[in-house]
Amino acid sequence: MGARRIVPFVALALFLILPIFVREGFYLDLLLFTFMYAAMSVGWDIMGGYAGYVSLGTAGFFGIGSYAAGLLVVHYGIPVFVSAPFIGLFAALIGAGLGWVSLRSRGTSFVIVTLTFTYVVQLLALNLRGITGGSSGLYLPLLALPAEFVILPFYYSMFALLVVAILVSLAIRRSKFGLGLIAIREEEGKADGSGVNTSLYKILAFAISVSFAGVAGALHAQYLNYMDPDLAFELIITLSVIIMSLVGGRGTVWGPVLGAFIIQPLSVYLIYLAPSGIAGQVHLVALGVVLVLVVMFLPDGIIPTFETWRAGRSKPGRASLADEQVPGVAS
Amino acid sequence: MNWELLLQAIVLGILTGGVYALMASGLTLIFGIMRVVNVAHAAMIVTAAYVSWLLYKNYNLDPIASIVIVMPVFFVAGALTQRLILRRLDGRDVTLTVLVTFGFAIILEGLQGSIWSSSFQAINTSYSLNSFEVGGIYVPLIRLISAGAALLILGALFVLLVRSNLGRAIRATTQDPRTAALVGVNVEHVTMLAFAIGVSLAAAGGPLLGMLFAFYPATHWLWIGKLLAIVVLGGMGSLTGTFVAAMILGLAEQIAVVFLPLDWAPLVFYGVLFGILVVRPRGLFGATARESL
Repeated sequence: MGARRIVPFVALALFLILPIFVREGFYLDLLLFTFMYAAMSVGWDIMGGYAGYVSLGTAGFFGIGSYAAGLLVVHYGIPVFVSAPFIGLFAALIGAGLGWVSLRSRGTSFVIVTLTFTYVVQLLALNLRGITGGSSGLYLPLLALPAEFVILPFYYSMFALLVVAILVSLAIRRSKFGLGLIAIREEEGKADGSGVNTSLYKILAFAISVSFAGVAGALHAQYLNYMDPDLAFELIITLSVIIMSLVGGRGTVWGPVLGAFIIQPLSVYLIYLAPSGIAGQVHLVALGVVLVLVVMFLPDGIIPTFETWRAGRSKPGRASLADEQVPGVAS
Repeated sequence: MNWELLLQAIVLGILTGGVYALMASGLTLIFGIMRVVNVAHAAMIVTAAYVSWLLYKNYNLDPIASIVIVMPVFFVAGALTQRLILRRLDGRDVTLTVLVTFGFAIILEGLQGSIWSSSFQAINTSYSLNSFEVGGIYVPLIRLISAGAALLILGALFVLLVRSNLGRAIRATTQDPRTAALVGVNVEHVTMLAFAIGVSLAAAGGPLLGMLFAFYPATHWLWIGKLLAIVVLGGMGSLTGTFVAAMILGLAEQIAVVFLPLDWAPLVFYGVLFGILVVRPRGLFGATARESL
């Protein structure tokens, strides 16, 4: 146990000093994107893992973050590194609004609302040409930094975002709020009956959950110095974030982080291997297949599966409990 | 106010609404029986549109005639999908099934993009531009034909559900699977067949979509939003509700186009969707007490 507690601190120190030794843009870029996806996936898991409500709308909040940051820079000259925290708050407010629409009752509303939300915001970004530039996109001024240093602010800010996401997730996990969310996942009716304000908990969890996507979108927009409705609301974002959380372990703090460090490098490698004209499409198919396979064969994810296996080895009596299947209800 | 334009919009709205009703009927049927939103429903419709487009391009097969081919093929594919993949998730967290259908949607979109590129396609038949005039109102021939085909298929679905034993079993399972099982319904089998029927209804919508609208791999995101708006307005799982809601939204969309720029027309659907969820989440006809995902 002692060794495992040290790992996060070693990783923290390692990633902080890494840019001193690694100067190649490729690796820093890869890490930066991995941090970004890991942060969003940790956020997604607060709602999708702890509370058990699957959101299909991460890209919508990422895009809102991108456009909010872009418009603030272009129209008011406010740098992204200043506006980013407020953009996270803004995304959380919109998340709370969507949550209010779809989370007051149990039911399908949440999936439907988060699924359609991305398309609605994308449509707004496309149609409000006067403000957003429509389909021709929005260009952001370049940061006034020498070329070899320009990646560093983004590397460190994405890393900071990930660290904050992990700390928030840890804090929730250890709080009464987190217990309430897990109770909602396990048995929402009983959670409600035992005094958990389920609607408020869910709305709050969703608001916190999407704030990370908003900040990620903001930083990403300045990193690329450009955004358009296709780029800012890319489906790959929603899809990757879900897969990362599922692969590493839904409902755990570190699962989404592990998932991101596995999936993101593989994604980059796949795009490099695939024929350039259809690389994006091949990436979609591959992620779709991975999603279906993970749900079918590794629904608990790597970390919980590994822990069950280890518990089963040390205490043979526990394995049968952990493996117990809930019998089919409808069939 | 131009009354002729409004009347024109009403005629177009009713004809388009019929096609929307067909597209949404499968989504409602699948939700009713499995309590799962089939996120891939519109992607299945677009896939059928591509198949119909290929059949027209290569064999000059009329899109309406291709319905007879795509429906049984998609029925079998749907039955296999339910039997081999979705059934294994029975009794587990419902969100997992939703994620699998999300995965299907992505796979279909990616495959279409890899094979036929991401550019727009449309099925342009020899009669696609024909229309006739009744009392100053122009009726495009393909709108009339596709609405007719949609109503015919919906009529057949209605007869199947009301008159046949399978239909009774589907309705019983939709209402309450446990009780249905108690009175001797093979719920697993019926669920598979109902899912397959839902998928074949999506397939029937494909050629009509291809005839009436341009499509490309990512269009299914627009369509799943429109269809969900219809299904939610109609009260999730109610076929009658879905039909009425499709007519209402078909009309609302066409009338909105009279006043709004074309780009904004889809917002009618989302406005109604979000509005209904705020005001009356059960929809117009919804009375489902069963809780679901």
